[in-house]
Amino acid sequence: MRRRTLLALTGTALAASHAPPGQAAAPVPPGYRVTWYDARTPGSGRVGSRDVTAAGDGTMWFCGQRNGTLNRLDPKDGAIRVVNLGPGAAPHGVIRGPDGAAWVTEGGQNAIARVDPADHRVRLWPLPERFANANLNTGVFDPAGRYWFTGQNGIYGRFEPRTERMDVWEAPRGRGPYGITRTPQGTLWYVSLAGSHLAQIEDLATGRVRIVEPPTPNQGARRVWSDRQGRLWISEWNSGNVSMHDPRDGSWKVWRLPGERPRAYSVWVDPADKVWLTDFGANAILRFDPVTEQFLAFPSDRASANVRQMDGVDGQAWGGESGTDRIIRIDYGL
Amino acid sequence: MIRLALLALLLAAPVQGEAQGEVKAENGAAIFAARCASCHAAEAGAPPGPGPNLAGVIGRQVGGDPGFDYSPVLRGAAGQVWDAPMLERFLEDPEEMFPGLWMGDNGLRAAADRAAVVQFLRRGAGAR
Repeated sequence: MRRRTLLALTGTALAASHAPPGQAAAPVPPGYRVTWYDARTPGSGRVGSRDVTAAGDGTMWFCGQRNGTLNRLDPKDGAIRVVNLGPGAAPHGVIRGPDGAAWVTEGGQNAIARVDPADHRVRLWPLPERFANANLNTGVFDPAGRYWFTGQNGIYGRFEPRTERMDVWEAPRGRGPYGITRTPQGTLWYVSLAGSHLAQIEDLATGRVRIVEPPTPNQGARRVWSDRQGRLWISEWNSGNVSMHDPRDGSWKVWRLPGERPRAYSVWVDPADKVWLTDFGANAILRFDPVTEQFLAFPSDRASANVRQMDGVDGQAWGGESGTDRIIRIDYGL
Repeated sequence: MIRLALLALLLAAPVQGEAQGEVKAENGAAIFAARCASCHAAEAGAPPGPGPNLAGVIGRQVGGDPGFDYSPVLRGAAGQVWDAPMLERFLEDPEEMFPGLWMGDNGLRAAADRAAVVQFLRRGAGAR
């Protein structure tokens, strides 16, 4: 094991909360059902529930950025198993790796974390010292099983789980790398919030990056997700737009979110290529149909829900309400 | 002799204080660059980014930059004015002070870091 590998047996607290899930109080469009789950467990304090991903067995992982935890929610009864990620932890993003484990951009310890799906054991790989305070953001696996990640302070990196080698590069335009995604064709892309651009990691061996300029200046791209065709959908925080770039012909299309003051935070494209967005201005989750170009809104029943990321499985869109410490599930196609 | 020494100490104290303030502001600039600058500018006239420009924030109303679209919780706090102690409390746990803040969970854990950032913003604003 390399020196920078830490085995953090910080423990899995089986602090199961069994708060029953709640149904939407407000009317929901036909064909949809909205369910909320309490993200808090006894003694957890404020959780700061944010990024979510499917664990592959019907449960959902979610990050507790405020209390330094990764959590595993069982939607059947609302039970939550809590994994303490270590002193000072403040996890931002979580994805499920090809090994079935949860892989976390653990900003508080400036490390990549792996949580074993069977025993919830935590392993940490800190970034090299010269990249302290990377402000780790989001990760994705490439087709070869290497984990790529972004850091808002102007870095992106690659971690090879097999050899535990980590490479980190300075982003070409400095601060801003935020969301990252992989297309079905196997290409990797990230967006820069501070730099307002899209970037392709076009050489996965050397890490070379190619910047693609969006049509809207200073758009403030937060997240990016691919549809089945490899088109890239981008949530624009500053402009309040959702944009789409098609790498096949270099084209862009842009739509402004409804309302007077939209703020597009996150984007997720479901398996049917419908686009799910979160709009802080409207305090709502939006579903955008690229065929009809219509938005459908799912406002939260509480103020300042602040859903910062979405993910899901076929028939279910999931998000973490960081402002209310709840996890939301929207069943669609009912 | 003792009087002379005391006098020398008294005369030196403000100079030391200013020097410490300079050091703190320099540290604050570095901490600001590492922890805040991804979203916030601190130079007067710079356009807002994902967060508002913080040049001149001390002495400004909460949610007081007309060029920025703030979180509802900050718009609702208009009337309060940022001063150094309030800004230090905010930096310790922003969401504790303003629950539902769009900014997210980005506080500074070390009191010295918070003080240094506030000193940096004070100097930037020309307030001494």
